[in-house]
Amino acid sequence: MCAVHAARPASTDFGGAAIDGNGGERTEKANGNRGRGGRVIERERNIWLRLIHSARRSTLDWHSPSDRCDVRTSATGTRGNDLPALRTKPRPAPPSGLARFMHCIRVHQSASSTEEPAGGSHKKDHDRYPVFSVEFARVETPFIIGLWIFCASLAKIGFHMTPKLSKMFPESCLLIVVGVVIGVLLFHTSSGVQVSPLTPDTFFLYLLPPIILDAGYFMPNRLFFDHLGTILLFAVVGTIFNAIAIGTSLWAVGQSGLFEFDTPILDMMLFGSLVSAVDPVAVLAVFEEIHVNEILYIVVFGESLLNDAVTVVLYHMFEAYSEMGPANILPVDVASGIASFFVVALGGTVIGVIWGFLTGFVTRFTHQVRVIEPIFIFVMAYLAYLNAEIFHMSGILAITFCGITMKNYVEANISHKSHTTVKYAMKMLSSSCETVIFMFLGVATVNNAHSWNTWFVLLTVLFCTVYRFIGVMILASLANKFRLHQLNGVEKFVMSYGGLRGAVAFALVLLIDKNIVNLQPHFVTTTIAVIYFTVFFQGITIKPLVRILNVKRAEKRKPTMNERIHEKLMDHIMAGLEDVLGRHGNYHVRDRFKRFDTKYIRPWLIRDNKGAEPKILETYSKLTMKEAMEYMRRNASTIAAFPGTESMSTLFRNCTQTNMDARWGSGVRKAQNDDPLFAALAQDSFSFTQLDSSVQNLDMQELEYNPSKKDLTDAKIHHLLSEELCKPRRHRRLSYSRHAVNDRDLSTQEVNYKMHMNMRHIISGKHHHKRSKKLNKEGKPHVSFPGITQNGSVKQFTHDYINEMLEESDSNDVDEARPSTSGLNDGPEGGIVFTAKSTPTNTDEAVVHTEDPHPKDPGKRSSRADSEEEAVHVTPTATETVLPWKRDDEAEQCTFPLKQQEFPGWCSNKEYLAYNSPSSTFLGGLDQPKVASVIGLFRRESTVDQEMARADAAILVIEECPASPVPSAVVCGTPPAPPKRPSSARRGSLLELGASVDPIPEEEAGTPESSANKSPPWAQRRRRKQGACSSSYEDFRSNEVGLLVTCGGPVGRVGGCVVGRGGAALSARAASSESELARDRVSRSVSASAATGNKKRRCRSSSSDAAAAASDRDKETQIGEEQDAGGQRGCHASAQWGSS
Amino acid sequence: MGNTSSLLLREDEIAQIQEKTGFTPNQIERLYSRFTSLDRGNCGTLSREDLLRIPELAINPLGDRIVHAFFQEGTGDSINFLQFMQVLAHFRPIKKNKDLKLNSREQKLKFAFKMYDLDSDGKISRDELLAILQMMVGSNISEEQLTSIAERTIFEADQDGDQMISFAEFCNALERTDVEQKMSIRFLN
Repeated sequence: MCAVHAARPASTDFGGAAIDGNGGERTEKANGNRGRGGRVIERERNIWLRLIHSARRSTLDWHSPSDRCDVRTSATGTRGNDLPALRTKPRPAPPSGLARFMHCIRVHQSASSTEEPAGGSHKKDHDRYPVFSVEFARVETPFIIGLWIFCASLAKIGFHMTPKLSKMFPESCLLIVVGVVIGVLLFHTSSGVQVSPLTPDTFFLYLLPPIILDAGYFMPNRLFFDHLGTILLFAVVGTIFNAIAIGTSLWAVGQSGLFEFDTPILDMMLFGSLVSAVDPVAVLAVFEEIHVNEILYIVVFGESLLNDAVTVVLYHMFEAYSEMGPANILPVDVASGIASFFVVALGGTVIGVIWGFLTGFVTRFTHQVRVIEPIFIFVMAYLAYLNAEIFHMSGILAITFCGITMKNYVEANISHKSHTTVKYAMKMLSSSCETVIFMFLGVATVNNAHSWNTWFVLLTVLFCTVYRFIGVMILASLANKFRLHQLNGVEKFVMSYGGLRGAVAFALVLLIDKNIVNLQPHFVTTTIAVIYFTVFFQGITIKPLVRILNVKRAEKRKPTMNERIHEKLMDHIMAGLEDVLGRHGNYHVRDRFKRFDTKYIRPWLIRDNKGAEPKILETYSKLTMKEAMEYMRRNASTIAAFPGTESMSTLFRNCTQTNMDARWGSGVRKAQNDDPLFAALAQDSFSFTQLDSSVQNLDMQELEYNPSKKDLTDAKIHHLLSEELCKPRRHRRLSYSRHAVNDRDLSTQEVNYKMHMNMRHIISGKHHHKRSKKLNKEGKPHVSFPGITQNGSVKQFTHDYINEMLEESDSNDVDEARPSTSGLNDGPEGGIVFTAKSTPTNTDEAVVHTEDPHPKDPGKRSSRADSEEEAVHVTPTATETVLPWKRDDEAEQCTFPLKQQEFPGWCSNKEYLAYNSPSSTFLGGLDQPKVASVIGLFRRESTVDQEMARADAAILVIEECPASPVPSAVVCGTPPAPPKRPSSARRGSLLELGASVDPIPEEEAGTPESSANKSPPWAQRRRRKQGACSSSYEDFRSNEVGLLVTCGGPVGRVGGCVVGRGGAALSARAASSESELARDRVSRSVSASAATGNKKRRCRSSSSDAAAAASDRDKETQIGEEQDAGGQRGCHASAQWGSS
Repeated sequence: MGNTSSLLLREDEIAQIQEKTGFTPNQIERLYSRFTSLDRGNCGTLSREDLLRIPELAINPLGDRIVHAFFQEGTGDSINFLQFMQVLAHFRPIKKNKDLKLNSREQKLKFAFKMYDLDSDGKISRDELLAILQMMVGSNISEEQLTSIAERTIFEADQDGDQMISFAEFCNALERTDVEQKMSIRFLN
């Protein structure tokens, strides 16, 4: 006996104590406590007793019908005085078998007691220390609860193991079935189970809140508030309509005597009110599976959430009325009932919102103790729920709005890990609660207290369905009058069909006092029937119906950056338009709230406020993160998929030892001195060389580098890692603390923007390739590399840099050696070199203009170069044939005639042009005035700005004029202006000027010449480039080491990468210096033809990685500069803004 | 045509506007009263200042652009009622049976596109996007972040690789967005 009581949950104890204090449940009832809690207590205690009893019976297999009976009667009979004596001393209990057994297994507990029950026959054992003792009673309740959850979850797993079942039936149905099965088992093992463990209190206090919190917290706020009007209409008016219609209809039918029992109107209304409410749990369970479009979902689900207030009020109102009796109801009662609706609904909402804000405020300070962040969210939401229940307000509304309110602020405060924790914990709690609820519902079905009345059940089901349909149709057409999105017929149908009843109704019907409402057993049975009908019939058929009716399905996706930004823009537009129209619609209200929120609320609740549009930033960081993750994943698989392909080490395999010694011996030796790793590498590669020398070319000049996919991905990963992972920003904790989570690197807010650029840069390789193909098809001049088919995109990408590097050294060499031929140079420096010659003519300029079909291509830099290029193709001289940068193209493309192949690949590489050019950073970017071009443009109509614009334009023109004594220089400066907007430059548009401000390499061709800089620009560039090269080499090495250190796991692989890439860096460095030597030699040896072509390519490839590194570096600096420029522009813009 | 300062529209004017914009006469009347209440000078036209005098519009981050959009097609510094209505007609919800050209999806998108297109060259450049982002987001986010956001956005939408978003690319990027819904206002009858 005492064991049984001790095992009761605390809440029940509390309730029991309250009852005792009041001298019994009737007194308590008379006190007029209308709460859910008080009234149920007696029933609930019974239930717990029975449940535990039955569970024990089944667990311990203790068969003694008389004992069972004994315990039950005593449990109910001695309820009044058993609690105070609960644990202090064993109360003299009737000597029942069960009690005896319990004493038997709890010997050591009763050892201290002096008084033994009358039938205690085990006294002699009590002072001996037991070797082994069983004490089930102490853990009984939690054990059984755990067992239930375990079973339910197990059942859930079971369904998903059988895809056939889970495809056909909604989960809720299957869970109910399992519950019924368990219920039958329990029923037959112990006939005492009358009602299942699903008591109203367990349901309302423990099972429901997690589900509703989950719903509120992950509620799509925007959608919810957009459709709030419709939702409220359905939730309030619809529910009231349904309740009254069902109640009166049943009453009317009852008057005809069909039911064979009396149907008082108030009882029927009470029943109608509880059975009319659409259940959030059931709706969630079904609608999450059918994936209807979001508007449909939010309307039905929102209705099911918000109708709680109505249900609660109606239920309590009619309950109180039926207690009073129809005769005693005064109009004031009706009025107070209506008033109480507002109190319950608004009170619940306000409580929820307050707790939501409080949660946001609390999480503002949790950044030192990240681990406890999630608990605040759960506990404070739960407190909101209980708080509302204290005042008999709608707890569901409270916890829903608490979730809705806290979400935005909490999410900004908590760490990424906490966010994940919250998300998963919430989903886990809600889904297990849902499981348990449905299962308990099934168990509850099996009892012998049913009072089935076929007509009553049938008519209730019928009325529920019919009135649901009628209500939805009427209200939807009413709502359509005020809605932008019109609910069409199919949607109306799904809305009415989705009106499922569930456990809320069941819990409410259990709350009805049998002594006041005599029909309660009927109600229980009928409610169960209605629930079964809706959950089974409608739940199963709604899926095929949705498919048949072709309801718009929801697509689960994350918004792209564009969508996010453009949608925000549209919001602003719409808000602005509503203002113009003078209407205070949705957008206006949202706009206003947002402003208020940003200005007053967010600063208080959010630790580091991110400005007006946190969503944009959020989307951005999410996308960037996702991209990076995906990239890593993809590459990991790529690496795994190509284990046998050649890597960077093939580069070394292809090198002869002699060449290495001769060419970059010094470099290697230096590297060896620097780093033992490289020493090992060098040794390794030497041995390789000897091994493969028979197969591979012996001559360094014949070296052909075939970057495999793996190499390229290696390189990419390296860049990624070097950006993201290898930065020495590890934070060493000085003191150990047990609960500390070091999430320095977890926060989503902090995005490595450089990494993003890198990602983009890498990914852009693909696009670039496609583009180039397309251009070729269109007949636009473009240099293609037909020889390269496999992963050509990236190859071209690397090629660009190689090309550029080579051209650099080319121009240097050639210029020094043979300045007369420098005009032939077709590298990026062509224009520059050409102007150094400064012998252009006006005809040349004309040529450029006429035969430039690709005007955006800045590669058209110098007219002279063009014409000479043409000449080259007509009659290639010996020198020209020898020139490696010439012959390279020819060697690869001689199969078919190509027009204007003088443009290297990078010319059409837009990515490269816009951002990656190293030269624009220093030469183009720095010495240009940074003008706020865009804003000026945007407000072009304002005369002040226009004047300013003109002034700017004038300045620029003046700058350009003296620097362009020759017409070609002007030509060089103008190509960036595309013909699509031909007037842009002429009309003094600021954007054009802004373009020249921007370090787009378009003026890379133009500005060096036009600037009055007398020192040869290519020399500067070259110097800088070499610096970048070597420094990037340093970078490489340090990064590799870091990589090796950080990724301790797959040392072999990473180490391999390190070796390979380190080698590449090394070789690249060497190659960059070597290319000069090589070219010198080449220029001397006229006879070499094909070999030199190869050699050229080899040089390129070997320097590819270094070039890529260099370009990365350049890009970084360039980005920095761009940002600088942007900053200045922004300042300028704001200044203009202020002045206007 | 609203050029007169009379407070009432004539029947033929209503009919003309109805034909051009698709508004119902009731809506036209209603909007006309709004128009006249905005028209402080009682001159039958609205100037930029008239519109910017609306307090909420003045603090709308894109208020300037929105006002600018009203004056894009019209000439000069003022718009008359018909022009006003023509701009508003972009935002009429799309009805299946009668579709006018002004409120088609494309027109709606075009309106949004023009918000970005500061220099009206038919393309959104990085700087233009950046400028709009700055207006919307405000000053709390660093320039660096905004720049990378803008670049990311352009990169995402850019298909022909010119580092700009053309209108076609813009439409593509918003392919899955319910623009018809998002850019419609339920005009009162």
